[in-house]
Amino acid sequence: MGELKRRDILKAGAAAAALGFPAIIRAQQKELVMLGIWPATGAFSDVGPILDRGMKMALEERDMKIKGLPVKYIVRDSATQAGAATRRVEEAVDGEGAKFVIGPWSSGVALAVSEVAKRKKVFHYFSGGTEDISGARCHRYSFQWAASPYTAAKTVVDSFMKANPKAKRWHLLVADYAFGWSVEKYIKEVGKSHGIEFVGADRHPLGEREFSNYVQKAAANRPDAVAMINFGLDAVAGAREIFNFGLTPKVPLIMTWSSGVEELVQLAPEIRENIWVGSNFYYTADTPVAKKFVADYQKKFGSPPGYAPSAAYGMTRMMLHAFDKAKSVEVRDVVTALEGIEVDDLVGRMKVDAKTHQTLRPYFFMRCKPKSAMKHPMDFADVIATGDAPLPPEYAACKDLGGF
Amino acid sequence: MTLLLGQILNGIATGMLYALMGLGLALIAGILNIPNFAHGALFAVGAYLTVSAIGALGNFWIALLLAPVGVALLGLLIEYLGIRRLYAAGHDYQLLFTFGLSLILAESIILVWGPVGISQLPPPILRGGVDLGFTFYPKYRLFVMLAAGLLIVGTWLFLEKTRYGAIMRAGIENKEMVSLLGIDIHRLFTVAFALGAYLAGIAGALTAPIRGLSPGMGVDMLGIAFVVVALGGMGNILGAIAAGLLIGVAQAVVAAYWTEASVAVIYLVMAAVLVLRPQGLFGTR
Repeated sequence: MGELKRRDILKAGAAAAALGFPAIIRAQQKELVMLGIWPATGAFSDVGPILDRGMKMALEERDMKIKGLPVKYIVRDSATQAGAATRRVEEAVDGEGAKFVIGPWSSGVALAVSEVAKRKKVFHYFSGGTEDISGARCHRYSFQWAASPYTAAKTVVDSFMKANPKAKRWHLLVADYAFGWSVEKYIKEVGKSHGIEFVGADRHPLGEREFSNYVQKAAANRPDAVAMINFGLDAVAGAREIFNFGLTPKVPLIMTWSSGVEELVQLAPEIRENIWVGSNFYYTADTPVAKKFVADYQKKFGSPPGYAPSAAYGMTRMMLHAFDKAKSVEVRDVVTALEGIEVDDLVGRMKVDAKTHQTLRPYFFMRCKPKSAMKHPMDFADVIATGDAPLPPEYAACKDLGGF
Repeated sequence: MTLLLGQILNGIATGMLYALMGLGLALIAGILNIPNFAHGALFAVGAYLTVSAIGALGNFWIALLLAPVGVALLGLLIEYLGIRRLYAAGHDYQLLFTFGLSLILAESIILVWGPVGISQLPPPILRGGVDLGFTFYPKYRLFVMLAAGLLIVGTWLFLEKTRYGAIMRAGIENKEMVSLLGIDIHRLFTVAFALGAYLAGIAGALTAPIRGLSPGMGVDMLGIAFVVVALGGMGNILGAIAAGLLIGVAQAVVAAYWTEASVAVIYLVMAAVLVLRPQGLFGTR
């Protein structure tokens, strides 16, 4: 047996490369890995499973295939902690080959995940109240599905004041993190044009359960309306305590950025009386896509979807539209295709601003029904207005999305 | 000033609930010498059983009487069938057992009552508020103050004025001595655990109309209960009551002037007290 020569080693290496590397390339092209980074533990853990439902339903509508490639949908727990979420996204990108990431559910955590998307050059779609994803911290890979906090604030304040023109003294209860600060800023800004006096604005930590102290303060201010800028169990706990202290139904309560069904179902009809609700989705939305989604969801899970599953479903659908437009499965092509896309989808006409990655879409404003007017147990509210006023350019903080 | 008085009143109401939780935990910690990680879950079970009992019986008051007794029976079973078998295995195993049990109970709540939160209104007679002159205050919270106060005093009288209470206090001080006197120490452990569970259960039942119900409600309360026990002094009954009230009032007063710090103040008060008195307010060990 002859001595192994350098040329033989090179030949062997070349053969291995010919056999092995294309195998890896083929493996990469065998499937498209999509990551849903949803909260299964920690704050918002109640929402994680229903977010998962929404994303899965949108992918199943395409038979879990895109451009002939099977979709491998994986889920990781964001735990509503920036550290855990970013670590798990990185592991999914590096270890599982995930190139398309949707989630999580907290604005603060999403901003951290967005940084990972930028560094790892993977597609990222998020729905939440922070304006920074499509604002000061915008970049090429992250998109925002929820209405801009300005759109939400404008819809809520204008519509509420139209119905209650004398309610000029407002007390605000604000969740003390990125989402709360963003919405609070625009509620106050839009409020100026209506001559609203903000007699109090108290911030509470995320996960607060003891609202009596804040409500007592609010009551002492004798407001014409109380507006909460919080979400999920915080909003539910706040609404309960406002009722317990006898503010509602005498004083109207505005839940400015609500998940809709998921929050309202946790409140007794008596507590819901005189509550006004702003949300990114309500299940009576009058669009063909929403009607089909709501019917399918109800058939599958027995109750109508709220904002959470609808956002996951809506984001995934928008991403799938981008795949169709791009006619490619490459991240850059999908990102480019999504920029400026305009489609009729879940909540009506939806357009992605190519300069900021903000999805321009309607925001819903509802008034809860009294118990006597409810036709069925999930008949919580009537949509009384929608609004889609985009963020005025003077407020836009996204100056340059940058390159790939 | 009016706001401050209102907040102090509010803090006392919340503090009474914290004290009830802390009292139960302190009893178990003092006599069984284990940190009961399932205490929060027992609190949640108390709330859920109350709502189910209201649904089944249509009467808040009967539900309030029965549901905590159900939690006490559950506590009795937990001690008799679980913790007791682990005395020989050592402290760590009992601790792990209660931790595992808390997870099982939390998941069981989801299986039985579902993952979505529930609202429970106070009984009609306690809905709305009363004008106290300096503040308008919910009737139900005034009732909670009264009920929790009576329960705390009742527990204290039981421990201070009855023979079995004296045995329990002796058990906290020196279990071996109590055992050598011919008293069935295992029965003492069972009764202490059941009583602690009852207090957690009734705290949950009273809290349900205030905070509503969600599967994670026990976790929220467990942390505070441990702070109350550490602050009052491990296993110290009077300390738990004082610490519960102190935490409740501190939280309420801080919320009046610096709302962002209303949660942090709980832990700041604990840290400050433990730096000055490592054994806690009333503790001796």
